Formats: sequence, C-alpha cells, structure tokens
Amino acid sequence: MTHFARDVYVVGVGMHPFNNRDTKMRDLAFVSASAALKDAGLRFFDMDAVYTGYLTGQVMDGLTYAKDLGLSGAPITHVENASATGSTAFREAILSVAGGASEVAMAWGFDDLNNLTGVGVARTDMEGVILPAAFFALWGVRRMHDRGTTVETFAKIAAKNWNQARDNVNAQRQAKHEVTVEEVLASRAIAHPFTSKMAAATGGGGACAIVATKEVAERVSATTGNPMVRVAAAAMETEQYTEGHIFLGATVGPGEMTRTTARKAYEQWGYGPKDLSMVQVHDAFPIEELLYYELLDICADGEGDALVHDGATALGGRIPFSTDGGLIARGHPGGPTGLAQVHETVLQLRGQAGSRQVENARAGLVQMMGGGSVCVIHILERA
Amino acid sequence: MSGDEIDFWEGKGGAVEKGAGIAAGEGNAKRRPLEPGYIDVPENPDEPLRLIASYSTEADTYYFPRRYRCPRTEAPVEDRLLSPVGTIYSWTYVHFASMGRVKYAESDGYGVAQVDFPEGPRVQGVIHGVMGDWEIGMKVKVVLHPVAVDDDGTELCSYAFQVVSGDEK
Repeated sequence: MTHFARDVYVVGVGMHPFNNRDTKMRDLAFVSASAALKDAGLRFFDMDAVYTGYLTGQVMDGLTYAKDLGLSGAPITHVENASATGSTAFREAILSVAGGASEVAMAWGFDDLNNLTGVGVARTDMEGVILPAAFFALWGVRRMHDRGTTVETFAKIAAKNWNQARDNVNAQRQAKHEVTVEEVLASRAIAHPFTSKMAAATGGGGACAIVATKEVAERVSATTGNPMVRVAAAAMETEQYTEGHIFLGATVGPGEMTRTTARKAYEQWGYGPKDLSMVQVHDAFPIEELLYYELLDICADGEGDALVHDGATALGGRIPFSTDGGLIARGHPGGPTGLAQVHETVLQLRGQAGSRQVENARAGLVQMMGGGSVCVIHILERA
Repeated sequence: MSGDEIDFWEGKGGAVEKGAGIAAGEGNAKRRPLEPGYIDVPENPDEPLRLIASYSTEADTYYFPRRYRCPRTEAPVEDRLLSPVGTIYSWTYVHFASMGRVKYAESDGYGVAQVDFPEGPRVQGVIHGVMGDWEIGMKVKVVLHPVAVDDDGTELCSYAFQVVSGDEK
C-alpha cells in the first residue's frame, strides 16, 4: 500500500546507550553501527549506501568514522535536519532502497548535544538567542489558557516517560525508583511552566538502522530468526504558512505540520491511528507529547488531557507513547534520536522489548520534529 | 546573490526609507539597533518604535522579520511598519540569568512573549519585567533591548516588549 516502487524492510537496529559521560563521537558511532550490523547478520561491505546524521560533529565526521567499519567504497552522505536528522537519514536510506539504487542501506546517527552549549553565545544577533526551552514553554502556557491544561498534566506525562525508561539499558535517565508527579514538579524551574525533569535529557549517543529489499529481509530473517518489519509509510513535510506564523529564529513551528504529515503517512499505509500499537514522538517537553496525541489524530482536539489521566498513553494503556522513555528519559543526543525511535519500534514489533513490551504489537508510528521547521513520520509494521 | 539581495538588510525599498532601523537623533545617540532592517527608531524620541515588516499585496499578508519575497505566493514584497502596540498571545519566563551574552544581574531570568500585531504577524521576543507583570491578552509596545556594546560604548540593541500603561493604549 505504500507509495514506494518496491517494499522496504528494517533488517537491523543497534544503539550506543545514550548517556552524559562525554563518550567520544567515534565510539558512539562505531558501537551503534556495529550493533546494527550484528543484529542483521550483515557486513559493512554489504551496504550499498550509508547516510550519516549529526549536528555537533566536525567536517567529515561521517566519512571519518565509516573508516572504522571498512573501506567499502560505498557512497556515504551526511544529512542534517536539526532534531529530525536521524529520521531524515532513515528516510533517505529507505528511498534509496525503494527507488532501486540500493539493495541494502544504512542510516547512522551519532552525536552529543552537550557540544551545543554555545548556542546564542558564539554570536550576538537579532535572532536565535532565546533558549529553545522557551519555545515549548510558550506552547505550554497557551495550551493552559485555551484548554485549561494543568501543570500536573505535564508532570504526569514526564513521570510516565521517566518510569517507562527505568529498565531501558539504552536510556540516559534510568531512575532507580518510581518517579512521582510531585518529584517532577519539585525539580528545578527551567521555563514556566516546565521543570528540569520535564525537559529532554540531552547528552551523547548513537543509533543505527539498516533497511533492505524484501529478498534481503527474507534472507536476514531466516538467518537471525527475527520477524520481518516492513516500512509501511515515510512522510516528511516542511513549514507551510499558517495564521500567526513565526519566522524569527528557531521556533516550535506550526503544530499543523504534524497533522498533515501524519495524514499523508496514514494514507500511504492504508490504515489509520486506531490501527497503531504504539507511538514515539519528539517529546522534548511534555506539551509536545500532549499536543501530538491530538495532531496525530489519536484523539480529538482538546481530549489529550483525558488520555493522560486515563493512562491510555502509558505502557499497558490503549496506545502507549514514548515506550522507551522518549526524549525526556531515553534521551536526545541530536542526530541519533529519530533512529532510537526506530530501534525501539523494531524491538517492539519483533517482541524483543522485554519489560516494556507492548502486547501484540503490530504497528508503530515514529515522529520527529526538526527545529520546529520539519516533520518526519514513519510507520513500521510487523510483516 | 544579486546586488538587490545584498542590499536587503540595508533597509531599502518599499515604504521604509534607507537608513530606517538605525537609531538617530539626540537622546538615542548611545543606543542603536544591532542590525538594520528590524526596528524603525524615529528621530523624535517621543514617537513610538515600530517593527519593520514585509507586505505582500498579492497575498494581503504582512511578515516579520522582512522576507525576500512573499512566502505564500513568491510575489514581490515591500517594507511596511507594524503598529507600535500588539497583544500578548503567549508568554513564559526563562529561569536562567543569561540570554546568549546578555547577563541579568538583578533577576533570575527573563520573560519571553509571542505578540500578535494588528496587521497579522506574531512576533517572538523578550518581554521586560518579571513573572506576574503580564498575562495573555495584555497590550505591549516595542522597546529597545541592549544585547551588546560597540567599541565606542554604544549599546547595540535588539527589540523587546513592554507592557503599556493605561494611557499608552
């Protein structure tokens, strides 16, 4: 049902755990790619194309770190789309296989957002000096005004995501105790109404996904025993003009972008939000996850708060969100983040997610925003 | 890049004359906009500051900051000044006592607001004051906001918002 010329499957996923320990980019890169190759039972020399993604690296980092894997001669292309970098690399790998240019392609993200601490300091200009946290807080305050959303609702989403990451060995935040709403509210204020425990955990990490044709996927599945996971939709949009459009600096962008991108993805898939088993989103702050319940058509506008209070979006609920902890707890290193969402979804669809396993997981949606200016959505399903 | 595009940030074209956006006149000698093309600072300090927008006749839409061309229709745009007063759409208070190179010695942070201007643009920027000074729906005016100091001691300014008093509305 997809719009691809031929079907594409995810045959391997791997990660370097997200952390805040100043791990070298080279190690983040090597470990994550090696893990994905091992997962697929493939060699780096099997890759017909490689797409690398990072925000904070140096010139040529992708080309340089690929030399640790092998001098295969394959085309290596660096892509960057802010937080949606890994998702965009994934999309490029999919399109390379779907269009016939590659039989097997790798999307590979490695990064450390701690290297972005100079934002707004390195240069002084009319734009770009306001902390990104403020952009999401502005969304939050307006939501509270329009819909009566409470700070406790935001805290409840954050606590959910912290607790869903407790057993995730790849998560940056692995709390040793059940995180409570009160604890989230009592953490340090960042930008009203948000606190530090509501904020994405920025640090370092690596994540990699390998996609391939059906023929390759069948071979890999026979070798590894892993169930096949098909790419059911790949949709991407940048901004279109909306009333109240904000141009100055990076913003969270028009929320409608997620809605229109998701509807394209559902159309490609041939099914709808009711057919999803789980969702991963760009939950840099809980206002985003709350709004995406509605913008992804999981519920009607204004009904997102009720989903939180009913537990519908928690593990065990009707439609779990951020099953691996999301950006808030699994973490957000930048380039790899979207690929970590793919990693989690593939594990879930294979039935390999351990204590986080969503029962009878059949299909998962992954959504990433980049600088509020680009939205990338993929839907993966168990074949 | 064409010569026209190089001139873009010099404030040429449309209703705003060359030099607009550069502080001038006595009383403003120690402050000027960091970059031209964003703020119109009148010579008379009693006149209000205004943001410089682009207007697309074809789309009948204003944009801020200025655009090279209409993002809806690709048609040419011209410079127009926005009204001096807008309405708060949303706000937050950032609990860090620095914003880029700007340090806030006497507070624990700074406010940020999104402001709707009557012509249509929603503009995001710093709002002066402390949490509790403002709320959604309040009227605010454009003021200068120092972000750097030039070699000669001139304060280089971005714009900010400030809640207007009753008689300013």
